[in-house]
Amino acid sequence: MINPFEDFKDFRSEARPLPLDRLVPAHDEAMAALTSGYTKLVEQEVKSLVWFVEHNRVIEAYTVACEVIRSLDYDGQNIEEFCYQLDSGASMPYLISGPAGIYISALCNHVAEDDLVLRLRHMQRQMHFLGYRLPHGKTLRIEGDTGNFTGAALNGGQLIVAGSSGDWIGAGMTEGKITIVKNCGRNTGEWMQGGEIWVGGRIHGLGRSVSGRIYQAGEPVVGRER
Amino acid sequence: MSTEDPEDGWVPLDRDRVGTVLRRALNRLWPMVRRRHLFPELPSPRLESSPSRVAMEIREKQIILNLDYVAEMSRVLPVETVLTALLDHAVSHYTCCPWDLTTHLRLYSRAKEILGDVDLARRATDLFMDVVADTHAVKERQSPLPSLYRHAPRDTADELLCSLFENIWGVDLGAKDHREEVRRLSSIPYLDKRRWLASLSRFIRAIRPFLEGAQTEMAREQMRMGDHGFRQYRPEEIETALREFAKEVDSPQQFVEIFEDIQNDLQASGACDLEGMGFGKGCPVDANWLYYMKLAENYALPVKKIPMRGSGNLHPHSHRPWEIGQPVREVDPWSSFGKYLPGITQIWERRQGEIFGTKEKTPDCLIIIDSSGSMVDPRARLSHAVLGAGCAADAYLRNEAHVAVYNFSDALAGGKEHLPFTKSRALVYRVLCRYFGGGTALDLPEITSLVREIEADIFLITDMQITNLDQTIARLSALNNRVTAVHVGKKPGALRFIKAAKRTANISVFGVEQPADIPRIVLGSVRSYLADRKRKHQVTEEPVYWSWTKHPPKIG
Repeated sequence: MINPFEDFKDFRSEARPLPLDRLVPAHDEAMAALTSGYTKLVEQEVKSLVWFVEHNRVIEAYTVACEVIRSLDYDGQNIEEFCYQLDSGASMPYLISGPAGIYISALCNHVAEDDLVLRLRHMQRQMHFLGYRLPHGKTLRIEGDTGNFTGAALNGGQLIVAGSSGDWIGAGMTEGKITIVKNCGRNTGEWMQGGEIWVGGRIHGLGRSVSGRIYQAGEPVVGRER
Repeated sequence: MSTEDPEDGWVPLDRDRVGTVLRRALNRLWPMVRRRHLFPELPSPRLESSPSRVAMEIREKQIILNLDYVAEMSRVLPVETVLTALLDHAVSHYTCCPWDLTTHLRLYSRAKEILGDVDLARRATDLFMDVVADTHAVKERQSPLPSLYRHAPRDTADELLCSLFENIWGVDLGAKDHREEVRRLSSIPYLDKRRWLASLSRFIRAIRPFLEGAQTEMAREQMRMGDHGFRQYRPEEIETALREFAKEVDSPQQFVEIFEDIQNDLQASGACDLEGMGFGKGCPVDANWLYYMKLAENYALPVKKIPMRGSGNLHPHSHRPWEIGQPVREVDPWSSFGKYLPGITQIWERRQGEIFGTKEKTPDCLIIIDSSGSMVDPRARLSHAVLGAGCAADAYLRNEAHVAVYNFSDALAGGKEHLPFTKSRALVYRVLCRYFGGGTALDLPEITSLVREIEADIFLITDMQITNLDQTIARLSALNNRVTAVHVGKKPGALRFIKAAKRTANISVFGVEQPADIPRIVLGSVRSYLADRKRKHQVTEEPVYWSWTKHPPKIG
């Protein structure tokens, strides 16, 4: 009788080790860590049922975010991927847009890379608070539109949004430069203490800035005398 | 034929003999490649001369290598390496990614959803499948593909792939630097089949700028390894894949969109006649009907056709003790120890035998479907009414019965379409998918005339918001035909219909809370309906369902 498996008797499946075997688990591990950090932040913030954008609240959320990401190992690509994960809702507890944006900003502010590019053009929703407290020496380029409070409390970094932004751009920023390639919304530069906001398109409405300069299509609209 | 390394003075093959030599080499190598890939069921590959610059194509599972490409590559690489690498690539598409048309459709559908452009989506899907298949071949089958990629001429797409392969395979392919794309592409789990859809999304996000930028160039040049059109699949695979895909899509529009993209390829892949639907050249298929057709195929309803009935003949069935006064002719001497003693002697208990009776014809069915404004437009969203009606129609058609369709809105005002009894599934679905969107009224005399003289079932599916509902109930209950009515939601009309149906013997009403329950209830209910009728009349063998009349006979 012929053994139908005869041909396989000396078959040895020897999978060749590839760098891919190392790259994928490392990425998955980093993503799991980012998700876990976000979950911790959400657990903290979800205690009150509604998340209000209050000055103390934002600072508190940012402090917690910085705390939870302190030991994480990640890079810019992980941040971008995390944004898409948040957007799709896959493997995420839930998206609270305020804390989510603050968390991403905290990640950007503490990542090892100084020049960061986030390609967010194909996200379904817009993130708020992107570029929050971006420090000196960091350049963050966001490809796509952003939500409200983009570049709020900017702290010397360079934020470029290759798209449009929502309301309250650069609210409370102290120094640095925000460039919005297209348009932005109301209250632009509210409580602005310093720095520059360049808007390539149209500014829907200006806020009450304390200091700093705001340009619309190359023309200064706030801080002309300086 | 030399197998020396090209770097060490390998002599190119004689151009005139190249065809013969390559064919011999292919015949020799194919068994070895098959063995390494664990004997995939693929026909023997062949070499064909082609003016195209692509290396291969796959038609109905057969790998067709471009003789000119192989000959060209054999100038810089051993023939064995070229052929083995190309075969590995092609076989990996069969054994790993996409594996089957269903997976291919899933991937393409996701790419189309993200990119929105047919060419870009195809290109992105092809590139992704190439990366997966090649990585599988290199990792699991020790393929010499890296050698081929190192020496093969490259277009823009190949440059990017080579750059990626360098990073994830850990080999030097001499590729140009695409650091930004490669960084994003390198951590995608290509070999994890469960994550392919998410991986494809990431893959597309990473290569999208490149794809859009290089679109013109890529449109000009075909991909080096050949594109992976949908014409490589067999008709049976196409049928299965469309059925699966119809089940998976969110809306009919998504199915229609994808089907229209690939229709030409599927037509070119060979005859795939959908019940005379004209799924051939020059007769494009209406993808809306096809969607409901394929979806309905997932809900097959079995129909009992050959009933058992009493034969009238009595035959010995079991023993019982003989008592004085009982006929002795039934005594079984073999079980009675040769004695005539009451209580010891055994006589035969006879029972009526059962035989297959006359082959009973499955009755025809008139499907009455409501397509008024309160019903879902089957082209915009999944209409469970159309799907349910389609399932019922299929059940009758499969049993060689005829089906007629009466699609109505305000029938009295002309909002109706009537399909006479037919066996054409395509025609049935065409009329089922018709949507009027107006008021709701039945032309009762017309319906009565359609079934008065024939033994046909009536299948009515509506939300019961019918203007002349009372007359409808009265007219249907006066018929001798079996009526299966399905109502959507708990509208007042439905409650009236249910109450009225309780007083009739020929109407069965099935209600659903959610339209999404319709297919399940219809299919399940017919079965439970069968079971209920059987229980009610304590019939075990009589085919109540098919011989059912207004006044069912009492049996047992």
